[in-house]
Amino acid sequence: MMAWVHPGIVIALGGLLIPFIPWRIVKQAYFLMLPLAGLALLVLTSSGMFGAIPAFPESFRPFSLPFLDYTLHPVRIHNLSLLFAYVYVVAAFCMNIYALGVKNDWEHTAAMIYVGSALGAVFAGDLLTLFFCLEIMSWAPFFLLLFRGTKKAMGAAIRYVLWHHFSGVCILAGILMHIHATGSLEFGLMPWGWGSQYLGYHLMILGFVINAATTPFHSWLSDSYSEATPSGSIYMTAYTTKTAIFCLILTFPGVPLLMWMGAIQAVFALFLAVLENDGRRLCSYHIISQIGYMVAGVGMGTHMGLNGAASHALCHIIYNALLYMGAGCALVVAGTAKFDRLGGLYKYMPISFWLYMVGGFSISGFPLFNGFVSKTMTIEAAELIHNRPIYLLLEGATVGTFLHTGLKLPWNIWLQGRTEPPPEVRFRLKDSAVNTPVHMLAAMGILAFLCIFLGVYPKILYDMLPYPVEFVPFTLTRVFSITQMFIFTFLGFWVLRKLVKGYPGYVLDTDWLVRIPGDYLLRFCTGPLQRMGACLDRIGERAADRIVHTLRNPETEAALNPSLAGAGILAALILFVFFIARHL
Amino acid sequence: MHRLRVYPKRLFWRVYWAALAVSLILDGVWLYSHAVHYHFKFQYFPEFFALFGFIGCMLLILIAKGMGLFIVKEEDYYEKRSKQGNRVK
Repeated sequence: MMAWVHPGIVIALGGLLIPFIPWRIVKQAYFLMLPLAGLALLVLTSSGMFGAIPAFPESFRPFSLPFLDYTLHPVRIHNLSLLFAYVYVVAAFCMNIYALGVKNDWEHTAAMIYVGSALGAVFAGDLLTLFFCLEIMSWAPFFLLLFRGTKKAMGAAIRYVLWHHFSGVCILAGILMHIHATGSLEFGLMPWGWGSQYLGYHLMILGFVINAATTPFHSWLSDSYSEATPSGSIYMTAYTTKTAIFCLILTFPGVPLLMWMGAIQAVFALFLAVLENDGRRLCSYHIISQIGYMVAGVGMGTHMGLNGAASHALCHIIYNALLYMGAGCALVVAGTAKFDRLGGLYKYMPISFWLYMVGGFSISGFPLFNGFVSKTMTIEAAELIHNRPIYLLLEGATVGTFLHTGLKLPWNIWLQGRTEPPPEVRFRLKDSAVNTPVHMLAAMGILAFLCIFLGVYPKILYDMLPYPVEFVPFTLTRVFSITQMFIFTFLGFWVLRKLVKGYPGYVLDTDWLVRIPGDYLLRFCTGPLQRMGACLDRIGERAADRIVHTLRNPETEAALNPSLAGAGILAALILFVFFIARHL
Repeated sequence: MHRLRVYPKRLFWRVYWAALAVSLILDGVWLYSHAVHYHFKFQYFPEFFALFGFIGCMLLILIAKGMGLFIVKEEDYYEKRSKQGNRVK
């Protein structure tokens, strides 16, 4: 039997070579081949070439490594990790096609390291390998943000890294406390409770929840994803949050807190999306909202809920990349994704409009699109545990999702009831119906095909899920109720369409609670604190000067007066305080 | 050279109103003939999903607009703040 080759290592290390390939066409071909090589390895793995893959809770571990007193399992393969790995490489292939026009090769490298480390995380069999991969994952997008080159993107990049290092530290602390308590490195089911003995698990779940952008820790997502390069942001939509969902499914299924957080998150993000003026920020809020379904599914902990979370993560990666690509097209072609500066683009970009709409229908959960077959599973799970508030929150989020991604965004970018775009956008467009670069349309086309294919033929998705699926999506009840709901959502939108028009502005988010105190702290440090330091410095220097002057001069030594002695004692005290403070 | 077209407005509205009318009628028919099976009692309320979609959508927009009075600021809100902070220094 052959030794197993890690697709993540192939993609990440292969990505490092991209800038050194001399011919552009070879470079592009190589860039596209990387995820295909990963896909080939995955197909061979699931066909049992390297060893049989047992049913879900069991797993296949190709090798282990000794580390201090422990044994590391850098690789553990089961249905769930294969499901995530498949969608990661397929999405990476489409994203690479979309990014073919990017001139900066290092952006490709950063993206491939990001994809590779995400694969490393889903295949991780022990907690230290997982932590190592999550740390690489928190650095790679930093560069995708930095390469945008704007000052705003730089700020967003630093905030992104700060958030993720905070979550990383929480996860590491949790892991260390877990190892201390149990002596096990196994990346699997963790205990949960409210006592102080569970502190490590609370920290671990906090880390995962921040990575999954769960309310109130979601602001890093909308802040950073909308500032990255047009193609870089597509990669960012897929990996970090979905890997966090993967970790939650494995470690904390059935924690009721997650169910409530997820359902609230699904709705809360929609309120902010109503006010949003930037296409990519709007899509970011929809990532947050959709992740709410997955977190809620994990929190329910039933087989249906966990299957719903896993299948929704898969479908979400596909349609969300498509949505981001649609908004990215507007950014690339028209130079902005702000609603108040767009409208009437349909005439010049109809293909991107229709491909975007496939994504819009998918995320809303229209029958025959992939969101329908996965989202309804989570909603059904809420119905089966007879939890009315959770059901109403999740169903309400469906209405809001259709309102924004299915109606508000396409209306504001492509239509707005006019046939020509504003003049400052019009002069950038050719007199042609194909203004979007062809490789971008090709990437969107593949993803749109996948959205419809999985929506029409969900069996292929259901067969890959960790638990056996006893769920029939296409029942009269479900198809009819959701269709009727959307028809009337449109009516509500049409009545209030003037209110959802884009207005220039910045929507404050929960990060205001961190950024404003942080701002005041900085002001305090650069203002009063520095002045106080300078003042203390001056006093100390003067006192020292006088002491030195006195001691060096034998004439004044005799005339040592009480005020000088006082100054000397004060200086000695100040020095003593500094000494103590330094050594505390 | 591709022909430039405007979006199919008239066709859309015809299909839309037809679908709306059909869905209203079908809801009654299916509830009456017990063809649909829901989990909660309130879902059996006539035209529940139509009302849920319409009212939910309106509420979402109106509440959010109310929130917007407090949380929507000028586009470079944070940049301006940090500049002011520097000036203080």
